[in-house]
Amino acid sequence: MYQALLTRRYLTSKLMPLLAMAAVLLSVATILITWSVMGGFLNALLSSGRTLIGDAFIAWPNVGFAYYEELAEDLEAHPRIEAAAPVIETYGMVRLPDDRVELIQVTGVEVASYSAVTGFGDTLWWKPLDKPTRKDKDRRDPRLDPNNRPVLTEFVENGLAMTRPDPDTGVPLPAGILGVEVTGLNYRTSGGIYIPINGQRALPSGGIESLDLFMPRNGSVGLTLLSLDSTGKPTDPVSRVLPIANEFQSGIYEVDSKTLIAPLDLIQRMLRMEEARRVASEGADDPWGYETDPQTGELRPAVPKATAADPARVTTVLIRGVPGTTPDEVAAIADSIYEQFAARHAGEVPDAFSIQISTWEDRNRTMIAAVKKETALVLVIFGIICFTTVFLVLAIFWSMISEKTRDIGILRALGASTPGVAWLWLRYGAAIGVVGAVLGLVAGWLIVTNINAIHDWLGEVLGPWLSGVLSTISGWFGGDPILINLVIWDPRVYYFVEIPRKVEPGKAAIVFVAGVLTCVLGALIPAVRSARMDPVKSLRFE
Amino acid sequence: MTSHSEHILAVSGLRKTYKLGRVPVPVLHGVDMAVKKREWVAILGASGSGKSTLLHLCGGLDRPDRVKGDQPKPKIVFEGRDIAAMGKRDLDRYRSRNVGFVFQFYHLLPELTVIENVTVGAMIRHGRFGYMAHRGESEKRAKALLESFGLGHRLRHRPAELSGGERQRVAIARALINDPDLLLADEPTGNLDRTTGGAILDAIAEHRARTGLTILMVTHDERIAERADRVVRLADGRVIEGSLPAEIGPSDPEIEVGTMPTPDAPGR
Ligand SMILES: Nc1ncnc2c1ncn2[C@@H]1O[C@H](COP(=O)(O)OP(=O)(O)O)[C@@H](O)[C@H]1O
Ligand SMILES: [Mg+2]
Repeated sequence: MYQALLTRRYLTSKLMPLLAMAAVLLSVATILITWSVMGGFLNALLSSGRTLIGDAFIAWPNVGFAYYEELAEDLEAHPRIEAAAPVIETYGMVRLPDDRVELIQVTGVEVASYSAVTGFGDTLWWKPLDKPTRKDKDRRDPRLDPNNRPVLTEFVENGLAMTRPDPDTGVPLPAGILGVEVTGLNYRTSGGIYIPINGQRALPSGGIESLDLFMPRNGSVGLTLLSLDSTGKPTDPVSRVLPIANEFQSGIYEVDSKTLIAPLDLIQRMLRMEEARRVASEGADDPWGYETDPQTGELRPAVPKATAADPARVTTVLIRGVPGTTPDEVAAIADSIYEQFAARHAGEVPDAFSIQISTWEDRNRTMIAAVKKETALVLVIFGIICFTTVFLVLAIFWSMISEKTRDIGILRALGASTPGVAWLWLRYGAAIGVVGAVLGLVAGWLIVTNINAIHDWLGEVLGPWLSGVLSTISGWFGGDPILINLVIWDPRVYYFVEIPRKVEPGKAAIVFVAGVLTCVLGALIPAVRSARMDPVKSLRFE
Repeated sequence: MTSHSEHILAVSGLRKTYKLGRVPVPVLHGVDMAVKKREWVAILGASGSGKSTLLHLCGGLDRPDRVKGDQPKPKIVFEGRDIAAMGKRDLDRYRSRNVGFVFQFYHLLPELTVIENVTVGAMIRHGRFGYMAHRGESEKRAKALLESFGLGHRLRHRPAELSGGERQRVAIARALINDPDLLLADEPTGNLDRTTGGAILDAIAEHRARTGLTILMVTHDERIAERADRVVRLADGRVIEGSLPAEIGPSDPEIEVGTMPTPDAPGR
């Protein structure tokens, strides 16, 4: 009881412990901010995975597997699976308008099923906008211009249909959708938007030709794939010109700079994975073989006949679970469904043991693990730095207890027990910890929720101001201007336009408890010392 | 042994040696002394003669030297219980319920108000939960005590805002909050001028007249000692004069009872 009273009085009358409180506040806020931003980054990474491929996928790379429509139906019949999309994932080469040739990841999709599994529709970049994006302060985004609205609307329609009308005949032609970073014809601003720029093509004469094109309007790429023979081996290159209907932005640079999405049937045809007749002639081994013509009844050289149909194939089926299902659960469901499917088609599809079934996180394990490791590393480093708070609290309490030996003596003379006195200091430490940690959480939360605004302010106001001041000072001494750039998160460099962030209550609780424990830990040794002090010594003198 | 039970406190064979580094500093060389119920006893001795040490031992704030071998054990018997042999918890209870301390330098808690300085004793006594039940009663008693010492109007003040005499009254009220049987006062007027000190003693005397409190008071001032019923003289860690109860007697036969040192003589 007296501990509570004294704690309250010490809290309001002592200045030194407020320093300890400030240290706890800063530590708690720092850790919370770091954790939230790193966690937000990881989260953004994982959710862009979901945007790209859904929760899980079933894959048999290169050659692909058949009866995928049946498999997709089986999957969609499961109550916890929302949609499944057969796609082909392969590599090809694109020739860009400026004649650069790039290796590219090609995904052949059916728009309807692909959109149902992924966030494909939302990733289309060229679409009309009413409100500017968060960082586009001066509304430079061409998508905002009402004059562009009709054409942008058309681009969206084209993108969702994966066609583009032939300029001469108006007949819709199959078209692809490029990652927004592939061509280099879109300039990414610090506002996180794209401004189309004119491309340039180098000429053999040494001159430069300016390209007047905008991919969704009149741009095309040359796509080259290696078609597969009947055993699934890549053989002859197949090329064609593919008009571009729209461009997409997923938020992951690796994807946006290296991906082309194209209609599934087109890719199947190019790779020769479409449904095909298998032909054979009676006695095909014998080039001199004869057969009877059923119409004329005459003998004639043997003619090849279709003996069977080879079903169309895809390399991958992407799967999305109903909301609330984790990717791992979706993968587990896919596992069991595929097992039944493979049993039904034994010998026709890869068996359940060999097929690849995994999640985005699995596929990008190294990248995600790296981000997780970095998060852990940063937290450990900050944790060590914040651990100094323990010593700060220890030092402050040590001096405070030395200053308060007489009070401790008085309390002991009044009958206070040694544990009681120790408890006074522990309680006081805990109180400082609780107040400091609560303020730290509030500060951390405020900073995290406003981190983008704070960051903008640092870059747009404080940075230039500091540069101005320092340049003036350096000017007095005849030095060069000093420029300070406080823009740490430049959308031109980093992929996510804004600093991703996420304050999770669980993390906040852990940080809070750690903050309080820090103080209690710091107060522990001084508390034990106070309890061991001889009450008589301090009472003898004033 | 009927006379025994009329002693609220009886000490015998008390020795206390401090250590200054490795050097033992003997302070008490075998003290025997007793205080009767409702008695006001003054321990008179020069500065450094061991008066405070004796008082701390009687109050259970410190422990006497342990004896080796078959020498008689030191005893501090309070109402039949030997506090020299008590465990820590019992000693804490003893300090909280049976005795009240008053010091020369008041020793108030500077962050607490006057009334809180007094009730803190009750908080310690009743513990975390017990005090909830006793709060009203304790505050009432604290107020009554402070009013009886003429401090009714200063309950919410901080010690720093009070004069020396006022502070000492608060300290006395604090010592009395748990209604102890024995008040241990270490030079309660040592820091005050004669008039203020006199008033403090008047207040104590008045309270004693009302409640029958037993008082053991330490002083180096003969005139203050006169206020007591009986004076025990201490010099160089030995009782040299004072009506010792017959049945206890000096433990050290070398002591000449009756020698009169000058009270102001430097100790040891
Ligand atoms: N903790 C200690 N260590 C060493 N010597 C001490 C200690 N406390 C008291 N003393 C010595 O014990 C002697 C008696 O002290 P004290 O009981 O305070 O005397 P008094 O109260 O009569 O002035 C003094 O000489 C003092 O210096
Ligand atoms: Mg003294």
